[in-house]
Order: sequence, then structure tokens, then C-alpha cells
Amino acid sequence: MKKVLATLLSLLMVLTLVAVPWQASAQASSALAGEYDITVWVGESAVDLTKKQIEDFNNTNEFGIKFNAEVHPVSEATSADQMLVDINAGADLYCFAQDQFARLVQAGALNPLGVKAAEAVIEANDPGVVAAATSGETLYAYPMTSDNGYFMYYDKSVIPEEDVDSLEKLIADCEAADKFFAFEAQSSAWYIASWFFATGCKSEWVTDDDGQFISVNDTFNSPEGLIAVKGMKKLLDSPKHLSSSSADEFANGAAIVVTGTWSFEAVKDILGDNMGVTDLPSFEVDGKEYHLGSFNGCKLMGVKPQGEDTVKQAALHKLAQYLTGEQCQMERFEALAWGPANLNAQASPAVQENPGLAALLLQNQYSRPQGQIHGSWWDIAKVIADDVKAATDEAGLQAALDNYYNKMASLFEMTEEEKNAWGVIGAICGTNWDTDFPMTEVEPGIFKSEPLELNAGEEFKVRQGASWDVNYGSDGPNGANVVVAETGTFVVVFDLNAGTITLEAA
Amino acid sequence: MNTNNTAAIEKQKRGLGLKASARISNTIIYIILVIMSIIWLIPFVCIVLQSFRCESTWIESYVIPQKWGFDNYKALWNSDFPRWYLNTFIIALVVSAVQTIIVLCMSYTLSRFRFKMRKGLMQFMLILGMFPGMLAMIILYRVLDDLHLTGQYGNAVPGLILVYVASSGMGYYVSKGFFDTIPKSLDEAARVDGANRAQVLNKIILPLAKPIVIYTVLTAFMGPWGDFVFARYVSQMYPQAMNVAVGLQSWLATTTMVHDNYTLFCAGGVVVAIPVAILFMCLQRYYVEGVTGGAVKG
Repeated sequence: MKKVLATLLSLLMVLTLVAVPWQASAQASSALAGEYDITVWVGESAVDLTKKQIEDFNNTNEFGIKFNAEVHPVSEATSADQMLVDINAGADLYCFAQDQFARLVQAGALNPLGVKAAEAVIEANDPGVVAAATSGETLYAYPMTSDNGYFMYYDKSVIPEEDVDSLEKLIADCEAADKFFAFEAQSSAWYIASWFFATGCKSEWVTDDDGQFISVNDTFNSPEGLIAVKGMKKLLDSPKHLSSSSADEFANGAAIVVTGTWSFEAVKDILGDNMGVTDLPSFEVDGKEYHLGSFNGCKLMGVKPQGEDTVKQAALHKLAQYLTGEQCQMERFEALAWGPANLNAQASPAVQENPGLAALLLQNQYSRPQGQIHGSWWDIAKVIADDVKAATDEAGLQAALDNYYNKMASLFEMTEEEKNAWGVIGAICGTNWDTDFPMTEVEPGIFKSEPLELNAGEEFKVRQGASWDVNYGSDGPNGANVVVAETGTFVVVFDLNAGTITLEAA
Repeated sequence: MNTNNTAAIEKQKRGLGLKASARISNTIIYIILVIMSIIWLIPFVCIVLQSFRCESTWIESYVIPQKWGFDNYKALWNSDFPRWYLNTFIIALVVSAVQTIIVLCMSYTLSRFRFKMRKGLMQFMLILGMFPGMLAMIILYRVLDDLHLTGQYGNAVPGLILVYVASSGMGYYVSKGFFDTIPKSLDEAARVDGANRAQVLNKIILPLAKPIVIYTVLTAFMGPWGDFVFARYVSQMYPQAMNVAVGLQSWLATTTMVHDNYTLFCAGGVVVAIPVAILFMCLQRYYVEGVTGGAVKG
């Protein structure tokens, strides 16, 4: 017996001798292998789940990566603020709401995805969410959820089911029952946009690769916008309107609250079987029905740039990719009812049947994906509701929109210098009439560009102040496009006095 | 008896007696005071009542719980709260001890010694004190972070102690005013008897200045106990680095969290208020003497 034991033990010893180098070589096969101490910020409810998921990653990943992670509860709403206070003190991996995306990119708080990872993420996730994580052409963050939209919760004991499609009937029901209609119109632009989307208005922003805002296409101040504020005024004028989106209003005399999936459990706690969930209602102006729209947003996960430590950075990207993969998104849906951004997960029957997400899906046909939005917009648009409430006639409503428009216009107001600057624009150097190449004044009236690589047959013009008000072509002001005769590197020379454009070989 | 007097007596007879009119005015004053104290107390009573509510965790439209219990306090014990409480307690205790010593030494020096630039120093500190502390926040944060005295290095507590204590020398006004009222001849008598300066301070001045010492301890304790803004930055959102104010606020960051944590938050608020309330109840008498004593006579 002793002999057998001794043999077994020595056999075990030999085996470990063999096994240890083998294991080491397996780890060494990945350049990322190693232990890393990291900090992770997720919403309070997701802390335990995220700890488990990181543990799963440690046990299953093929790269030999092991993370010693500290997971802290920092809500998606505040993480960006904290990140921007001091990026160095921020978490290595953090979750945030998409409206924070642009300023995080501008501040350099997000490390962009590698080409392969980006391809995989783009293929697997909802295009709207991918757009929300993209600035210019670069993907900066990983999609976690696609459920940041709002819809309507109502108390079935107060609101008859047949009334839920009409705003006017809902207001009447609330006033009759002396209950509140909670719609956060007066303090949140996110909810105000609902009315404008209903009538087909839009507010779309364009950003470049660095997260800077270039321009906006905004039609809130239009005849459609006027219809929208007329509808909005119906609700604002009701004495039972309450500007709030907190589920707890149901405990304090509300019959309707417009809020999102995150309130689902809270509403259920309070209303129990009386909870009704559906899409937003329609309102009527001049005999025409308009269905209220909404924003459709998401939560994203970002990797903090790690400076010199590119290995740790790459390892963090692997973890982020895992945590936002189909499996982890499904786990989050099962444990927390967070609506997945992953296309496969979205299609799964469990997700399709979840009542909160079903209402969101119902509302989604009227919703707009929340792209990149300038941080100031939230404050500019927020005051519309107050102006509308104060207005007494149509002129007052129009004034509210004018006020909004003027503030928007001042956002992109250029300096004198920018207005006077000349630039070359055209289908040149890989651009397509969308980029102004700056010119400098070398002597009074003579402007020169930087050396540009031009191909024969390409066309361009010279314009002032990045607008077409003042522009020159081959035959003077407002002339035809200049056509490049031969391929080469040229400096574009513009003589303002003569109105001529010539190419000088550089 | 002249006619004027008779008229006055007549008038008094027709109207109310002195006692009666005093009683009426007292009653009115008391009613007003009672109403005012009710208004002031309502929020506290609400918080205490909500902290015992067990049937729900969110904001309700009623105040008196339907189901009473200690659930929230139990949950409090199992959360990060004890850690925050300990952090705050350590900070407040150390700060109140060190700050009291510094302030008393400072006031004694400025009250009793005559040296070059004494006036200049006092004026300089007066001007410095006029700048809002918030102005220094960013640079202080950077310095603390570079010294590794912030949440990410696990040193938020010493960092905060350093910040609170560092500026304490400037809060000498009230106690210096009080020291000025203690006759110098006492010092001189003690000096003649062979006491040195430290003995004068410890044996003569401090026993006489008990109210102001207690006032200094109290204010030094209260500052860090309720501090939020700076503590939040230094914590860098690391739960183990937070103080109670920052920690409790982090429970209410979103409406969903309010729904889940509101009664817990109330229980936390009650626990936070306990030591301060006890301190004030015990030391209230001295506190009033300290505040008014220094200010009026100084």
C-alpha cells in the first residue's frame, strides 16, 4: 500500500514538473498574459453581476489574462462627471450614458477600439447604438444596452385602456380623477424632444474624429415645430401636469408617468397588478393626429487610455469586448432587465416578451436614435417648455421657438477671423466638398494653401468663411469649378484683386 | 393725588390689568414660537419616521409608517455605511483635537504676546480669509493627488485631515477676543509666582476660557462631519474613501436609486445626526457663552 502511494506521489511530482512548463508556455503564447489590477465603474445594481462576469473572463479567456478588479458602484449618469474631474483617478473601465460620449471623447477619456474589435462590435450590435459610440469614423466605446428610451406607465385603476392612445383623453381622465400626469417637460430636453419628433422635426449634429461638433441640422423652429409646441401646451396648461419622470410619483398621486425601463421594477412595486405599460399617446392639432416620438439611447462601456502601458490597454479591450458580448448582455437582461444592444440577444424570445422592453419596442417605431448631441443643447432646449407655458397666444409660441433658434445659432457663431478666412474646398485629397483646406495671406490680397496632392480631373473652388456666400471658381466670383489639369503636388494660389486661381508646383 | 394720576388709574381700570396683558402677549409669543418650532422640526420628524418604515423603500405621500421596524438600520449595518461612519469619525476627531490646539495657541499668542508684524500678520490672515475656500479646491486636489493622499491610493482620510487642519490657524478671531477679556494681571501674577508661559496658558487661561475651548472643539468637529464638496473630490468615488455625506449622496444618484434607497438614506441621516445632537445637548450652555462671550467683549 505504501509502495503504491509512493509511486503515485512520485508520478504526481513528475507530472507537475511536466505540467508547469507546459502551462507557462501556454501563457507565454499570448503577449497579453499577466495579472492586472484594475478599477471598474458600473451602476449600483450591476456590481455583483459584473464581479462575477470578470471572474468568468479570468477563468475562460485564452490569453492568460487575469484581472484583479475592484468594482465600484458609480452610476452611468455621474461617471462621466467624475471621469472629467481627473482622468488619472478614473476607473480603467467604466460605463456611461451615451449623452456623455462627446465630451468624454473631447477630453481624451476614451481609448478607441482596434480595427478587428470594431468590426466585431459593429457586426454584432444595433446600428443605432454603434452610431452613438462613433465620432467621425472612429468607434470609441462598447455598446452595453439599447434601452434608454421612454414610454408610458399608467395606473389601470384610473386610466381606461381605450384612452391610452389619446393625449387629450388622458389629460381629461387625470383631471377627472384628480391625479397627476407626470411628463418631465419642464426640466429635461430629453423629454421635450418627444413633441418635436412627433411632427417630424429633427436636430442632428455632426462631429469629427476628435469629438468636436462641426454643424447641426435643426428644424425645431419651423411650421412643424409650431404644431409641436401647440400640442405641448395642451399638457402644460393642465393643472394636473407634473414635470417629473420618477416612478415614485405613483405613490404620490400620479396616474401616468412617462419614464423608461429603469423604472419598471419601481413602478411594479408601487402599482402591482394595476401597472399598465404602453407607448406614448398621440395629440391632435387642427384635426390631425401626431404620435409622440422619443429618443432612443443606450449605455456604453469605455476603456480609459492607459498611456505607455499598451499591453494593459489591449487586455482591458479584451475584457470590455467580453463584458459587452452577447452572453454578458443576456446575463444583464436576465438579472437586471437591461435591454440588450446585441442583435442576437435582441431577437431572443425572452427579450421580445419582456413587458417593459415590449413597450419600448412599440414606442421605437416613433423614436429617433440619440446620436451625438452638443452638451449645450440640453440647456438650450430645456427652456422651451417654460416659454411655451408662459405664452398666451400663437405669437408667444413662435417667440419661444425663435428664442431657441437664436441660442442655437449663437453656438456656431464664428469669430471675425474665421468669417474672413479663405479656404480651398472640393473633391480633393479624399474629401468630397466637405472640408475647407486653410489658406494663408502671404501678401495683401494673395492667399496660398498648404501643398496639396491633386489628381488630374479633380475639381475645387476657393471660398470665404466656410460658406458659399463669397466664392471663386475658374472664371471669377461664383464661377465654374477649377479642374486640375495634371497630377502632382501643388500650392493653390488665389489672387483676390484679380479674382484668379492658379496652381503652383510645390 | 393730581388729575393726571387719576386719569391713568381710570384708564387701567377700564382696560386690562398689567398681569393680564403680560399674559396675553406671552401667550401670543409662545404660540408663534411653537408654530415656528413645529415648522423647523417637521423635516427631522419626517426623516426619523421614514427611517422606521418597512413597507416600502421609496418616497411615499404619507409620513407615518404603516409597518414599523428596524429593517433599514439593519441594512445600514450591512452596507458600506459603517466604513463611511468610521472615516468621518476619525477625521472629525483628529481634526477637532489638532485644530483646537492650533487655534488656542494662535489666539493666546496673538492676545498676549507683542512681536513685530503682529498686526500685519492678523491683517494678512483677515484678507486671506476673505477668499472663498472653493477657489483653492482645484489646486489642493492636484497637490493631494500628487502626494498620493486621495481615494485611489487609499489615503483619503489623512488627506482630508491635512486639508481641514492646515487652514485652522486662521479661525482664531472669536477665541482671541475672549482671551483679550481675561485680565492681563492674572498672567502677570502667575509669572511673578514663577510660572512659564505654557503654565499660564494651561493653568490660568484655559480653565477661565472653558466656553471658548468647547466652542472651538464643537466647530472643529462639525466642519469635517458634514463636509461634502471637497470630500467628494478627494474620495474619487472609491466607496472605502468616502465620508458619510458623500456616501449617503451616492445612494441617491438616480431616481431608480432613490426608489431603492430612500428609507435607508433616512436611517443613515438619523445615525449621522446622533453624535452631533448629543454633543450639542451636553455642551449647549458653553456653546452660547462661547459665541457671544468672544464676540461682544472682544
